[in-house]
Amino acid sequence: MERDNHQEGEAQGVKICDPPSERKPPDTLATSLSLLGNHMFPDPVERNNSTTDKEEPADLHLSDVTAQEQSLDAEPPSNQVKKLETEEAENSECQSNESAETTDRGAEDAADRVTEDAAAVDNDQSDSGEFVVTMLAKAKLEEQGIGVKGRSSPLLEAGTQESPAFMSHRDEDVTADSWRQHRKHVFVLSEAGKPIYSRYGSEEALSSTMGVMMALVSFVQSGDNIIRSVYSEQHTVVFLQKGPLVLVCVSSSRQSEQQLRGELLYVYYQIISMLTQASISRIFEHKKNYDLRRLLAGSEKILDGLLNLVDSDPSFLLAAIHCLPLASSLRDSLSQILQKAITPNLVFSILIAKNQLLTIVQEKTVIEDTRLEPADVHLLLNLIGASSAFQAGEIWTPICLPLFNPDCYFYAYISYLDPPECTVCLLLLSTDKEAFYAVAECKRKIEEAMVAQNSLSLIAKAQSYSVSQVGVSDLRHFMYKPFDVPDNYRQLSQFTSPEMEAPYSSEEEKMRLLDLYRYMHSRIHSTSRPLKLIYHVAERETLLAWVTSKFELYTCFSPLVTKACAITAITKLLRWIKKEEDRLFIRYPPKYSTTPNPSKSSRGGKSDQQDSTDNGFLSLL
Amino acid sequence: MPETSKMKKPDVKVVLLGDMNVGKTSLLHRYTERKFKDTISTVGGAFFLKQWGPYNISIWDTAGREQFHGLGSMYCRGAAAIILTYDVTNWQSLAELEERFLSLTDTANHDCIYAVVGNKADLTDPTAQQSQDTDGMSEDQTECEDRTEPEVLSTSLTSSASPKQVTHEDAMALYGRILRYKGLEEKSSLPAEKMCFETSAKTGYNVDTLFETLFDLVLPSILRKRNEYQESPTVDLEECRGGSSKRARSSCC
Ligand SMILES: Nc1nc2c(ncn2[C@@H]2O[C@H](COP(=O)(O)OP(=O)(O)OP(=O)(O)O)[C@@H](O)[C@H]2O)c(=O)[nH]1
Ligand SMILES: [Mg+2]
Repeated sequence: MERDNHQEGEAQGVKICDPPSERKPPDTLATSLSLLGNHMFPDPVERNNSTTDKEEPADLHLSDVTAQEQSLDAEPPSNQVKKLETEEAENSECQSNESAETTDRGAEDAADRVTEDAAAVDNDQSDSGEFVVTMLAKAKLEEQGIGVKGRSSPLLEAGTQESPAFMSHRDEDVTADSWRQHRKHVFVLSEAGKPIYSRYGSEEALSSTMGVMMALVSFVQSGDNIIRSVYSEQHTVVFLQKGPLVLVCVSSSRQSEQQLRGELLYVYYQIISMLTQASISRIFEHKKNYDLRRLLAGSEKILDGLLNLVDSDPSFLLAAIHCLPLASSLRDSLSQILQKAITPNLVFSILIAKNQLLTIVQEKTVIEDTRLEPADVHLLLNLIGASSAFQAGEIWTPICLPLFNPDCYFYAYISYLDPPECTVCLLLLSTDKEAFYAVAECKRKIEEAMVAQNSLSLIAKAQSYSVSQVGVSDLRHFMYKPFDVPDNYRQLSQFTSPEMEAPYSSEEEKMRLLDLYRYMHSRIHSTSRPLKLIYHVAERETLLAWVTSKFELYTCFSPLVTKACAITAITKLLRWIKKEEDRLFIRYPPKYSTTPNPSKSSRGGKSDQQDSTDNGFLSLL
Repeated sequence: MPETSKMKKPDVKVVLLGDMNVGKTSLLHRYTERKFKDTISTVGGAFFLKQWGPYNISIWDTAGREQFHGLGSMYCRGAAAIILTYDVTNWQSLAELEERFLSLTDTANHDCIYAVVGNKADLTDPTAQQSQDTDGMSEDQTECEDRTEPEVLSTSLTSSASPKQVTHEDAMALYGRILRYKGLEEKSSLPAEKMCFETSAKTGYNVDTLFETLFDLVLPSILRKRNEYQESPTVDLEECRGGSSKRARSSCC
């Protein structure tokens, strides 16, 4: 990364957020924040970038922030210390329910928890300026390459929220309260501060907000630091910089920073899957303030869909694939059908039903030195889900699997095998751009074989299972991710999970259970204090999470279960899973050999097929 | 193609080109399914097979997004007809045809025919608001129940109250420039009046006319191709994917 670039980006960012009066580059974080704050407050406060005018109440807030920032290691102002203590008290109350939990935590840690545990905080009316300033005011800095060095402490009592969030779309009024109420905002911007994507509201309307974000990122960067996250009472703001893109998540969910960053990474990968990393870098090398929306126009729905999936599908959290339970004999016969319908340069054949994986067959040489990452499969499934409204046709489209190789395209053939229902989808990936007709021919072979074996009606009967089949009373739901499925884990991480049934049938309840799982997951995977076993008595259920060298397990019981009961239940559950393993997981992903000289290009980066890294749109720059 | 497959190649290829959001997918959907419904911006290209009498016509619905620009010439390779689509309420969409899409047609057949199609005519032209669709009337109404007012639709799309930005004359002028770009004599080519259409995928206005005119015009191309491959048996072609053309119309040819 060139230092110059950062400077340039910063200049841009500051320009956006500051009126065109005279200005000089901010020289401390404090002045920078003050600058941003001045801009964001609608009341016309003095715009000169100094920290001296303290008459206005708004500015007073700011000077609190700046004072804290200037003396990072100093005690926070006294009124805030008091607040911190209350929250700590709340915390320990919460924690006492958890037996497998160490309870010592410093003030810093408590502050971290504030976002998670502050359930009911008094509501202050505030404007969008305060919202952003509040979000951004508390920067937790991290020295490049070194551990966490920053401080987090409670924030100003501004920027709180009022009413629940409802349906949203791109035309949303970004100054409305309802906009701020969204549980999770995601923004993507370029290093030059140009908006690329916003989950809610149009990017145009948010360009100054994004400018503020970028200014902050650049400012911290200019001191050789990386901004990682900002905590306020209600929000966690997480930053992720990937190449020329900056991704920002503003979340009021109780998820950990680590989880939120993981979600931002999925967003980044989905963008890569459409454009490739190489193209994006080249575009921005070429033209630093390129408007990437030109290339992503039309893809917003794919990103929207991804973010909805990330919120509602635990596959993303577990980084594992959920396959549809299927008699192993049927799964094997499907795999064989795929294995036989091949053509040169075909590398993956994937069969999907009801948005879940049925089987996946891979070309031998391609997969030899690698495995298909669950994230790549998730991105593929999302792309199919989001782009196949018109399902009668056969789709042929370039797609990049970012974890497999972020710089190259595959060509995906997507077709439904059961029109007009369109639940069974065939996905064939080739490295040859021109192979459409050959690949379409493979589909015809597959179709024929499936008719002969009556596969479609057998697939139609396949469905997810009910937790009642496990036969353990009090067990309401679980997620089980094995590390030891023979021959398999090395190639494809999977998990199994029953349907969510009553009391988790409504959307809200589903989300609540998922949030509990996310909380358990964040404790298990905490970087500072990872846990192996958590027994968590919540208000309406009891959860037990357990990770061993063989599996990762999350279970949800009725609230009346005792610890002893839960342990026996889990033993029974594990036994049941073992018995059903063949049906619940893809045991032996088959391989085929299609190519006399397989095109290694899709793996190698520098490829013989030039177009695999350049989809042609560079000529448009 | 080197593959040893026995894939029955379609007789002829028709390609829809044009900027995103002009209504390519909607046009094709209206023609094949007799419906107008919500679409999602196309990724890459989508292949359809249409039975036209004894012939198989492949139709490529391509993505208008710049992201997929590089693929355009591949979809156009060997095309017998190319439908250059714009949105009558959006001048830029016509300009894009010339700036971005025309060069993609270089890979098409030498005798490829071109149609210039202004879609969304229902937004500007009262006559286009009446459905011309003879057998799809009732379906049409149910599908569009909540979007009967063009104004409502247009505000959600283009944010303007959609005045007509592109006239028929503009389109015909573009057609003339296309012929010139291709080095074709205006006199010996199909006339602009015949090859410039205004359509509405929403009401069905002119949609059948568009596709059927083109299909009839590519017949000579099919026949020539057949003569070149005399051995290619008709039977094979006819049994090929009859399923995907449930709506095959008896009126053809
Ligand atoms: N009023 C009106 N709206 C239309 C018409 N045709 C399409 N639309 C609308 O225009 C939008 C885009 O239509 P699509 O058919 O998806 O456009 P496209 O050209 O396929 O776009 P890409 O696939 O992105 O290249 C949709 O919201 C349609 O409902 C029409 O004839 N009249
Ligand atoms: Mg389309």
